Amino acid sequence: MTELSAGGVPPSTSLSVAVGGRVGVQSWWRTPTARRYLFGYTLLAPAVLYVLLLVGIPFVFSLYLAMSDASVGVPVAHFVGLENFRTAVENASFYTALRNTIVFTVGAGILKGLLGTTLAFLLVQAFRGRKVIRALVVIPFTLPIAVSVLGWKWMFDSQFSVINWALNKAALIGPYGSPDWPVWLGQPWLAFFSVMFVNVWRGFPFSAIVLLAGLTSVPPEIIDAAKVDGTSFLKRFRLVIVPMIAPILFIGSAFDTVFTLSDLSIVYLLTNGGPDGATEILPTLAYNTGIRGGALGRGAAISLFLFPLLLPAMIMLLRTLRRRQY
Amino acid sequence: MSEPRAPRPNLSADVSRRRFLKVSGGGLATASLLTMLDARQAPAQIKGTTLRMLKWSHYVPAYDVWFDKFAKEWGDKNGVTVRVDHIPHLELPARYAAEFAAGAGHDLIYFVGQILTGHYYRNLIDLSDLADGLGKKYGGWLESAKSCALVGGRWYAVPDFFISIPVLYRKDLFASVGMEEPKTWDDLRNAGRQLKPKGHPTGMQFSRCNDSNHNWRALMYCFGAKETDPSGQNITIDSKEMREALRFGKALYDEGMTPEVFSWDDASDNRFLASGVASWIHDAISAFHSTRLTNPKVFEQTFVVPEVSGPGGKWNVGEPNVWAIWKFSKNVPAAKEFIQWIADHQKEAMEASLGYNMPFLKEQYKKPMPYLGKDQKLSALQDQEKITAFFGYPGPMTPPAQEVLTTFIVPDMFTRVARGGDIEETMKWGVGEIRRIYAKHKA
Repeated sequence: MTELSAGGVPPSTSLSVAVGGRVGVQSWWRTPTARRYLFGYTLLAPAVLYVLLLVGIPFVFSLYLAMSDASVGVPVAHFVGLENFRTAVENASFYTALRNTIVFTVGAGILKGLLGTTLAFLLVQAFRGRKVIRALVVIPFTLPIAVSVLGWKWMFDSQFSVINWALNKAALIGPYGSPDWPVWLGQPWLAFFSVMFVNVWRGFPFSAIVLLAGLTSVPPEIIDAAKVDGTSFLKRFRLVIVPMIAPILFIGSAFDTVFTLSDLSIVYLLTNGGPDGATEILPTLAYNTGIRGGALGRGAAISLFLFPLLLPAMIMLLRTLRRRQY
Repeated sequence: MSEPRAPRPNLSADVSRRRFLKVSGGGLATASLLTMLDARQAPAQIKGTTLRMLKWSHYVPAYDVWFDKFAKEWGDKNGVTVRVDHIPHLELPARYAAEFAAGAGHDLIYFVGQILTGHYYRNLIDLSDLADGLGKKYGGWLESAKSCALVGGRWYAVPDFFISIPVLYRKDLFASVGMEEPKTWDDLRNAGRQLKPKGHPTGMQFSRCNDSNHNWRALMYCFGAKETDPSGQNITIDSKEMREALRFGKALYDEGMTPEVFSWDDASDNRFLASGVASWIHDAISAFHSTRLTNPKVFEQTFVVPEVSGPGGKWNVGEPNVWAIWKFSKNVPAAKEFIQWIADHQKEAMEASLGYNMPFLKEQYKKPMPYLGKDQKLSALQDQEKITAFFGYPGPMTPPAQEVLTTFIVPDMFTRVARGGDIEETMKWGVGEIRRIYAKHKA
C-alpha cells in the first residue's frame, strides 16, 4: 500500500506542492461562502421540492391531459394539440362559466375586502372579550366546507328556509307560496348571489385576520402622530396604514384570489352550476366534464383556462410587492 | 339374502388406464363443481383472503346495515375478511378515476346512476360467465340490464338492481277536484292546474340533480322523443316529439308548479310531499317511506302509480346499480363469488331495502315480490320491469350518453323553456351541445 502524506500526496512529491495542496487546493465547498450557500439551499430545498412535486408535476400533467384525448378509462392518450381548447371555446356553456367565474371572483373579492377591513378595524380595538371574539370570527374559515355549505343549503331551502321564515315574521316577505317568497337557489340572480354570499361568509374572516396581523404591526406612535396632524380616519387608512401593511395586503389578496377562482365546493354543493348554468363556473364545468363525464382531456383544458386568468393577476401583485420591498 | 351382483364389465378390454383416469377425473370434477354450485360453497382458494368493496350510501340506511352484516356473514362463512366502504354516490366517479390512475383500489366496485362500464370496460374483468350463469338460473336478464353492463357483446359488469322512480300522488287531493288515479301525463297536468290555486302545487326538479335527469327523460320517452337510435351512435333528439315534450314541460311548470322547483335537490321533493303541500311528485319510493315516518296523515293518502302514459307510450326512467371488478383487483375469485352470492339472495336484499331494489332478472319478478307484494300501495310496482328504461334509451349507456347526463343538458333544455326560452332556440343550443359531445367521442 502506498504511503500518503497528510495532504493526500505521495511522499515523492515535494513539500511545497504538498503544502500548496492543503492550502491552495482547498475544496470550494469548504469555503465559508460555499457553506453559506449550501446551508441556504438546504433550507430552501424542502420548499422547492414541495412546489415541484405538488404544484409543478400536477401542472405539467394537466397540460399533458389538456393536449391529449385522455378519458377516465383509457390508459394511453394521444396528442391532440390545442383541440380540447378549441372545443371548449366553441361551447356556449363555457362562456357562461367564464363570465360567472370572473364576476364571482371579483365580486367576492371586493366584498371580502370591505367586510374584512371593517372587521379587522373592529377587532383591533380594545374591548372586553376581544380574544374570544377573535377566536370566534375565524370559525367559518375553519369549519369543514362540506358541513358549513350543508348548513347554508338548509338555510336557503325553498320551503323551510330559516331566512325566509325570519323575513316573513318581520313582514318583509309574504308567506310560503306567495310570489315574493324568495327561492334563493332557484332564481338565477339570487342563486348567484347566494353562492357568492357563502363564499364571502367563509372567506372574509381570513381577510380580516390577515389585515389584523398587518394593523397590529403598525407602530401606534405613527398613528398617533397622524392623528395629531389632524388626518381623518380615511386619510390615515389610505396614506399611513395601507402603505405600511401593503405587503401583507398583497399576499392576502393573492391567496384569496386563488382560493376564490378555484373554489369548486361551494357551487358544486349548493347548485351544481344550476339553474340552467346560472351559477356555472369553470371549476364545476371542468369537474362535470372531466371527472363525472369521463372526458379528462377536455376537463383539464377547461380548468387550465383559469391559469391565464390568474397569471397576470399574480404577476402584477408580486411585481408591486417587489417594488415596495426595494 | 344378498342381491345378485351385476356382471362386472371387462375394463381392461376397451378402457385404457389413461382413459379411465381422464373420464373418472372429469366426472369427479363435474360432480364436485355441480355440488359446489348447488351448495354455493365458495372455492377453497378464497379462504384466508381479503375482499375490499366500494359501494354508495344507500337511500335506505337500513339496507346498508343489512348489507354490511350480510357481507360479513358471507366472509365468515368462507374465511374471507370483508371490508365494505360506503361513500356518497356522486363521489364514486372521482374515486374510480383515482383508483384507475393509481392502478390500485377496491377489489369489487359498484356503479350507480352514472354507469361507467363503457368508460372502463378495457380495465374491467369480463364477467360474461357469471352473468350468463345468472341469466340461465333466473330466467334471463331484462333488456334494460344489457344497456348498463354489455360492451361489444361481453358483460363487463353484473347488474344488481335498479331504482324505480314512479308517480306519488295524493288521493284525497285528486278526489277533491273530481279526479281518480292518474293514468296519463295530461291527468297530472290537469291535477296540477286545478290544485295549485288551492295551495297544492306539484313539482319535478328543474335543477341539476339526479332526479331531474330521470324525470325529464321519462317525460321525453313518454312523448316518443329519444336521445339516440338503438345503436347509441346517432343523435335523434332533434325531433318534433322532443319539441312537444318541451312544450308540455313548460305547461306543467306554468300551470302546476312554483319557482322553487328550480332550486330543488334530490331530497326536496321528499320534503315537499311529506309537508303535505304537494299534490303529486315523480320520485323514488324513498319519498313514500320517509312520509310514512314524518307525516302519517299525508302518508295515508299517498298512493303510487308506476308511471303515466304519454303520446309515445309509458316509460319509467330508473337508476341502475351494477357490480364490476377491476383487472387490478387482488381478489377476483372472491369478488365473483360475492356477486353470485348476493344475486342468489336478491329476495332478502329487496326486503331489506323496503322494496327499493328492483331486480334485473326476469324470474325475480314472480309475484308476490318481496316487500312490494305485501304492500297494497306498492304492489303495482311488481310490473315495473315492463316499462323501465335508462338514460341513453333506446341505445346503451355509452360514454357520450354519460357525458350528456352529467352535464345536465336535457334538464337544462326543459329549464330554459320553462323559464320562457324559445323552443327552437333551446333545441338549437341543446342539440348543438349533444352533437359536440358525440363528435368528440367519435373523434
